[in-house]
Amino acid sequence: MNALAPFLIPLDVDPQAAPDPRHILKLLPRPVLIIGSDGVIIYANQASELSLNAVTGRGVSELFPSYHADLVRNGSYTTLLRSNRGDFFEAVFAPLDEQQYVIDLRPCIEAPATHPQDNFDELTGLVKRNSLLSHLSCALDGGQASSSVAIHCLDLDRFKMVNDTLGHSVGDLLLKKVADRLKAACRPDDVVARLGGDEFVVLQHDVEHTAAAETLAARMCDLIGRTYVINGNTINIGTSVGIAIGADPSIQASDLLRNGDLALYEAKKAGRGRFRIFEPGMDALLLQRREMEIDLRRALALKQFKLNYQPFVNVVTNRVDGFEALLRWEHPVNGNIPPLSFISLAEENGLIVKIGEWVMRTACIEAMSWPQESVVAVNVSPLQFKADTLLETVASALNRSGLPAHRLEIEITEGALLDDTDNVIQTLNALRNLGVKISMDDFGTGYSSLSYLQKFPFNKIKIDRSFVAGSGADSEAILRSIASLGTSLGMAITAEGVETAEQMARIRGERCTHAQGYLTGRPMSMDQIPAFLAENNLKEGAL
Amino acid sequence: MADGIYRLIYYSRNHIARDEGAFATDIEEILEKSRANNRRDKITGALLFNGGCFAQVLEGPLSKLEAAFERIQQDERHGDVSVLALDQIDHRSFPNWAMSFIGISDVHGKRFAGIGVSSGFDPARLGGDAIYLLLKELAIEEEDAA
Repeated sequence: MNALAPFLIPLDVDPQAAPDPRHILKLLPRPVLIIGSDGVIIYANQASELSLNAVTGRGVSELFPSYHADLVRNGSYTTLLRSNRGDFFEAVFAPLDEQQYVIDLRPCIEAPATHPQDNFDELTGLVKRNSLLSHLSCALDGGQASSSVAIHCLDLDRFKMVNDTLGHSVGDLLLKKVADRLKAACRPDDVVARLGGDEFVVLQHDVEHTAAAETLAARMCDLIGRTYVINGNTINIGTSVGIAIGADPSIQASDLLRNGDLALYEAKKAGRGRFRIFEPGMDALLLQRREMEIDLRRALALKQFKLNYQPFVNVVTNRVDGFEALLRWEHPVNGNIPPLSFISLAEENGLIVKIGEWVMRTACIEAMSWPQESVVAVNVSPLQFKADTLLETVASALNRSGLPAHRLEIEITEGALLDDTDNVIQTLNALRNLGVKISMDDFGTGYSSLSYLQKFPFNKIKIDRSFVAGSGADSEAILRSIASLGTSLGMAITAEGVETAEQMARIRGERCTHAQGYLTGRPMSMDQIPAFLAENNLKEGAL
Repeated sequence: MADGIYRLIYYSRNHIARDEGAFATDIEEILEKSRANNRRDKITGALLFNGGCFAQVLEGPLSKLEAAFERIQQDERHGDVSVLALDQIDHRSFPNWAMSFIGISDVHGKRFAGIGVSSGFDPARLGGDAIYLLLKELAIEEEDAA
């Protein structure tokens, strides 16, 4: 105390009078700042000038890189700040009035246990999830209805490919550049966070109108989508952005983040490289999807799946050659759910592999009970190839059921051949070596790449129903070309969706070998098969 | 790989002011800034520009080139940046800085008429080079479209 006395009491002042508070403040041995709500320093005492290089007129964020405007929005507040010189301070924020705040800075002698570095992502220097959430909570609690915040959830398109092809070190450098570009796109008082991997979140302040959020999102899509040059590689990635605007003061930080995520999901679904703003409907849609996912996970165990069978007929002999197994989900509440409504979900969450195994096993077993040795055709999803267990699944299904391999036909779509073609071809060859037939489904709707037909000798091509139903000259020409192509490659040709006698006559004329559709038989349950076959054998020749 | 000299060629649409005076100010500001950075980073090259686009050849150490390119990408006055080439080279084609206005618009043409001469831009250096012809063609197309 004695050491401070000369400073506290100027000599020309009556020693009995109370010292001038301004003087105390000026000479207080620890830093005290007064800042405006814009973060600009209005007053800096001597200690802050010395230890922090604080100068009136500078932004406080220059002294403390982690300083954020949210800190002053919320009344008194204590936090840990690290100066740009690397010193730690316990900072107490207290409002002087509406516009001005005191920051009382107590130096920490030792780096605190909860190191502020823990709040920062080591690679990019951006803040991490916890820190983002506290910034966001602060901003939302501020409760100034006139200035709301926006959350932008981003992830990178094609980032995985960069990592896989150029290695993680290039991937890391790319993430750093992405972080820099995000900061360049934002205003200094916005918060840019990396939540891990290629997931980023931007907290935008003072969003008076939706347009402001859209402008920033568009700018980020533009900047992130520009070419990168790293270690001599030119790299192109993109980003999708989901925006959630926190206009409602009652909304929680975590809800806002979740809404941003939902909007991101929609943005990606709409085709990457774009942004979407959260709308309440997205909530319901995802909720519905999540409920369906829960139900779908149980459906196998609860035996809610069953198989229906649709016959395909040899148009030369008019005999039923076989049946395609079609998956049905009999939901206890929602009734029959068509595959179109749940297969994409099952593919998304990987359940398709388990479901596909069940279909394979069941189809083989059920085919064994048929009165004649018809072929059973089973659809296989591209994801089952990726799972690498397909060969084993098929072999064990044949083995356990006792179905001869030549009675099993596996239907794949072009999608299966798009990625990792060599591996898929290898699996297809192994399946064929078991004696199983392989057919190409829905031909004509996707890429219809002729090189796939060359890479693997399919037993059969199934021409999509749209070319059978279409009565125009174009459809007919396509039908004819595919049929003649298949014939010359020695492949059987099934025309799908045959519904009328007229269509039947046409596909016969175009040298299709098989027909499948309502005309030759609707999908039926297993127990209807014997009667159907008996009736069909009687009618043989009449079709 | 990081050693040695590389050449990066890109071209971009410019998003800078259409107004003649502001355009000149923007151009000068860009040039001034890049001159200082490039001197420090031992980057040389050539800049061709007109009312519609920039086409730039940058030559220098790879890491410096990459940093310079990243600055360009973060500059919103550029848009639709296309990298035309990134190759290691044996020696610089542009050991000094050169720049040229290659537009055909009268307004900008007069103002920037002298810039090629004063910066020592020598079309002959590029003359036989397909790069120059390509850049020039791109740039003029771009100006027509703008």
